[in-house]
Parts: sequence; C-alpha cells; structure tokens
Amino acid sequence: MLLAPFNQGKTTLAKIMCRVCPKYFPGEMKGSVCFYERDISVLEPWQLISVCTYVSQNPQELFVANSVEEEIAFPLESMGLSREEMHRRVQEALRTWGLEALKTSSAQELSGGERKRVLLAVMQAIDARFWLLDEAFDDLDEHWRLILKQLIKETGKTVLVFASRYLSTFDDLFDRMLLLEDKQVKSYEPEALLPRFAVLCKDTLPNPLQAQVLDLHHTHRVTADRLRIERRRVSTLSAGTFHLNVDDFSLQSGQLVTLVAPNGSGKSSFSRCLCGLDDSLEGKISFDGRPQDSKELSKKIGYLFQNPDLQIFLPTVADELAWSMRHLGRSRQGEIASCAKLFELDLDDTPTTMSYPQRKALQAAVYYLLDRPFYILDELDSALTYHTALSIIARLRRNGAGILLITHDRQFANKVGQQSYTIKEGRLLRV
Amino acid sequence: MTTNTFVAGSGWLYRFDPRAKLLLMVLLCIWFFLPVTLLGLILVVLLIILVGTLNTGRKASFKTFMSILPMLCIMVLFTPFNVRDGKAILQVGSFVVITEEGLLQATRLAWRFIGITYVCTLLFATTVMNEVILSLRWYRLPYKGALVITLAFTYIPFIAESFSQISDSHRLREFDEKQRKKLFDRVKDLLPTLTSVLVAALRSIPNLAMSLELRGFGLEGKRTNYHTLSAYRHSFTHFFLSCMIIVVLYYIARVR
Repeated sequence: MLLAPFNQGKTTLAKIMCRVCPKYFPGEMKGSVCFYERDISVLEPWQLISVCTYVSQNPQELFVANSVEEEIAFPLESMGLSREEMHRRVQEALRTWGLEALKTSSAQELSGGERKRVLLAVMQAIDARFWLLDEAFDDLDEHWRLILKQLIKETGKTVLVFASRYLSTFDDLFDRMLLLEDKQVKSYEPEALLPRFAVLCKDTLPNPLQAQVLDLHHTHRVTADRLRIERRRVSTLSAGTFHLNVDDFSLQSGQLVTLVAPNGSGKSSFSRCLCGLDDSLEGKISFDGRPQDSKELSKKIGYLFQNPDLQIFLPTVADELAWSMRHLGRSRQGEIASCAKLFELDLDDTPTTMSYPQRKALQAAVYYLLDRPFYILDELDSALTYHTALSIIARLRRNGAGILLITHDRQFANKVGQQSYTIKEGRLLRV
Repeated sequence: MTTNTFVAGSGWLYRFDPRAKLLLMVLLCIWFFLPVTLLGLILVVLLIILVGTLNTGRKASFKTFMSILPMLCIMVLFTPFNVRDGKAILQVGSFVVITEEGLLQATRLAWRFIGITYVCTLLFATTVMNEVILSLRWYRLPYKGALVITLAFTYIPFIAESFSQISDSHRLREFDEKQRKKLFDRVKDLLPTLTSVLVAALRSIPNLAMSLELRGFGLEGKRTNYHTLSAYRHSFTHFFLSCMIIVVLYYIARVR
C-alpha cells in the first residue's frame, strides 16, 4: 500500500504506471517505468491489458459501454477470448460483486458504490497480473470492503493500493506499506508509518468540532413524515422498482446527524427529496412544522454534491462566490472576502486548476454565503483527509446550521455524529 | 462517460431483429421525404408515436417529445417567414408576412422532424447497444466505425444528463425563494450552465480515450463478440415486414 494525503500525486502516478499519462494528461516525464522487466515507455496502453488493470478513484471516468454486462465484456472482447470463456468470466464477476440484477443497468443509474463495484468486476474478469487500485475502498460500504479485502488476500496477484486514509479494513492486508511524502516514496518501519501519516494529514490536530461554540440565535427544525420514495431503473427490468420509506426523520439547528448505509440503499434519493430536487410519492417534509414544496426546500436545505465540479463553473473564486448573490443588487464584497478567508481560498484563483480539497472548500464556501439553515454533505469525507472534512463541517456549522452527513466510513461517522441513521430493507431507521 | 439510451421492456419491438430494425429506421427516414399527403404523414408519425409509447412507455415517449420541443418551436415559428409564395394569410401593407404555402411547409417540416426523431430514438430505446454494433457490422461497417456511431448516439444523452445535473446544482444555489426572475435573467442564467456542460464534455474526451485504450481498444488480432444475434430466429420475416411496411404506407399516403 502507498499512503499519501490528497494531492500528492497518487492518481498521476497511477496513470503514469498504466501508460496514459503523459499521453492524455500532458506533462513532462523523466525516467522509466518497468513492469516485469519490460519498459512500458515503448508500449501502448492497450498492450498492458493483460499485465495491469487500473481501478480509478472516479469510476465514472472509466465507463465506455452502456451497461454493466457490456462494460465487463468489453476488454474481454478486445483480448479475443472465446464466447464461452467471456461468459464464464462475466458471470463470475457479476456474482462476486452482486451485480446480477443490475447487469443491463447503465452507469448513470448506478450509485457511486455500485459503479466502483463494476470497475472491480471488470478488473476481476480481465485477470491481469497486477492490480492498481486508486482509493478503491473509498466508495464501498463495509460489506464490499471486506469482499475486496478477501479477494486481494486470496488472489495471489501483485496488488498496489493507493489510499489517502488508513481504514481499519487495511489491518493485516498488506506486505509492505509506503508513504508518499514531499513527492518521494518513503519506506518507514510499520510502527512509525501511521503516526507520520497522521501528522501529514493533520489528524493529530484537535478535532475542530470539539468545543465548537455555535451561533444559535435562530433555531429551526426540518422533519420528514411518512415519506415514500420510488425510483425506477429504466434500463433494466430485473432490478425492479426501488422504494425507500422514511417514517420519521428530524434535524435541528446545530445538530450533526450522520447517515451510514449500504451502497445503493437510497441515501442520495433521500437527499434529493429532502433538498427539493425530487418529489416523493407520499408524505411531507416540513420546516418548523410547516409543510414545504420542493421550491421552498431547495432554498432552505443546501446539498453539497459528492462531485464539486458539478457545482462550480465560473472563471475565478471571486466570481463563483458572488454568483449566488448577483440578484441582491447590493455589494457583498466584504462578506465574500471574509468567507474566502474563512475557507482559506484565494479570490483570484481559477477553480478548474485548484486542488480537489480546495474545490470542495469552494463548494462549501458558496453554500456558507447562502447561509442555509441546513446542509446535506454527500460523502464529504470520500476524497478528503479527516481533518479537512472536519474543518469544512465546522465552518459550515458555526452559524448554527444543522448538518446531515452521508458517509460509508463508520470511523468518520463516530468522530462527528451526535445522532445516526441507517437504511435497512428500504426503510430509514434511527440507530 | 456514456449514457444508456436503452429502455427495458418486453414489447414486440424488442423481439424484432435489430438488423431489420436498422433497415426499417433508414427506410422510414427516407419515406418521410417521399411525395406523401400531409394527412398521411401526420397519421404515420402518430402511428410511430403510438408504437413507441406501447413499447417503451408513456414517460419515455413524452421525454423524447420534450427533448425536441425547443427546436420544434423555433422551426414552426420561423419557417413560415421564409416562404413568400402562395396565398397570403397575414399581410402588413404590401408586405406579406405569412403565406398558406409557408404554413403548410412549416407543418410538414415539423411532422417530419418529429417522425425522424421518434424512429431513431425507438431503435436505440429498444435495442441494446451491443446489438446495434453487431447489426452495423453485419452491414459490413468496420468495428471502429460502428463504435464511433454508437458512442456518438450515447454521448448526446450524456451531455443532456450533465446539463440536467448542473442545472439542478445551479437551482440549489439560488439565493432567495421570493425573487422572481425576468425572462432575460433566465436566459442569461443559462450561459453558466451551458459553459459548465461544455467544460464537462471537453474534460471527458481524454478520459474516454484513456478508458478505451485501457480496455484494450487498439489491440491487434481479431476482436470477439460477447453478444450474438443468433437468438433472432425470424430474420427473413422481419426484413420482409420492414420492406412491406414502407411499401404499404407509401401506397396509402402517396399524393395521387
């Protein structure tokens, strides 16, 4: 395993190793990479198919086919395998990763965790000698993390996992653990590596949520009563219609609530209803006891998408922060500048060239300025160090906002949650 | 990177041989330009919509219509002004604004557009993409050509999907629920959304190239097929039906 905080170059290194960088992601490269004593600089990426399989951090970027089954079969067709062999491998991969019912589904209809499982199924079906997993454990719930751990243990292949957080699942899994520090891969004694990594990730600093004093001069409450949410995957008949029932949910100002539930259980569907992006079939969502329509909800509950790039789009940080306030007709420059300072952003920076944690911080800053009474943070921690994620939560919360945090990571949920919900058999339950 | 256009179902169109379906699609697109009566054209398009609705459902059928509505409006609004011949319907002084001929042309154009859209959508909504590729290859199109065509057809919905996601996120960033936006502001607000969509689309290009190559696209040697069209056992009947449909429709609707 290679551990490194975010933005130290793990993904770039992974792309160099599978020969697509600098080919498609320009840059200057010196030196060489050898796989099994072959210099890959003289090879094309497709020639590495039976040598190395790359599972990217962002599964969406690797999808080429239109359904789960076709996605798994595509590389096997390229390799010229017989139909019987392809069928055997595809079925086995679908079975291992619990994707049989979703085999005709398109990537667009899958949750983040399901997409990651598709990439892992592709990796298993190709059966290359070397597996390169970039944050592969991140979007998976605990069950699938254990399945992946088991597969790595039993496979007998060379596996390199890039991670920016040390998860408890990693215990007893790796032969060697390395640290990417100051752009160098360093080897530490096992007992010294994790403390050093914690220092690099600032996890040794005090939890910013502890002893935080909140400005609670207005208190609000949002509740969901007997909600029934339905979602149909149009590209498959076998997966049926998805239902989620929410008998009782409430969130108050200043409260920090977590939702930890399996992949594809309906976390995002619930969030979309709660913030007014989608409508429920039945039930009502109320704000301070008054039922709200979707338009009203969208102005009261901020929803930070998992992918910040869907929510930031202007040339500079200053433009981005000012966009939501453009209709107010009065200058808010002072407010914008202090918000940028609070989130440690430079107003002249260009969002598209900023690092991932900075883009997440900008996304949060935009909502901070909107001063919504409630926020939903969708897997905020999946691409940030604990400290960065906790700092963002602390900043959003300091005006007394109530926060619903969606995560797969129980370690993280335990650090933040005052109250926790889960989803079991299509029902949202308080833990 | 790509979006599935397939809508799961079990109607008769799903069991129709995709090779014959592809031929029927091309022939119907040609049919729309044959000398047929306007009433005949409208009835055939309505029949196609009905077939689509019965096979893919009302929601998918309605979505198709909504996706072309803006283009349709522009077409219907502006075509009549471009035609000057025929009997004047609206005249300002000596200046003829709209003629009967112009209105007829706009109507015919709009129905043709609806028809072509529905025919193409129906093919991709009732056929899995791999079978579309296999059908194109059956017509001797090289694999790369077939892949490019199918990627293009899935890339457009991908952009539409990105547009919808980005619009959602922008909607959540509106400041005040009481503010009422003027039409000009609404149009102006479309610009950042379109910019974001363009950026997302451009960013996806190297990713798509990377993904294809990492999946072995480019390898020398014969590429095999996971899917097969051998399950379609009534190919001749389907081809015959496809041709007959066109002939019968033309015979009924032709200009006498």
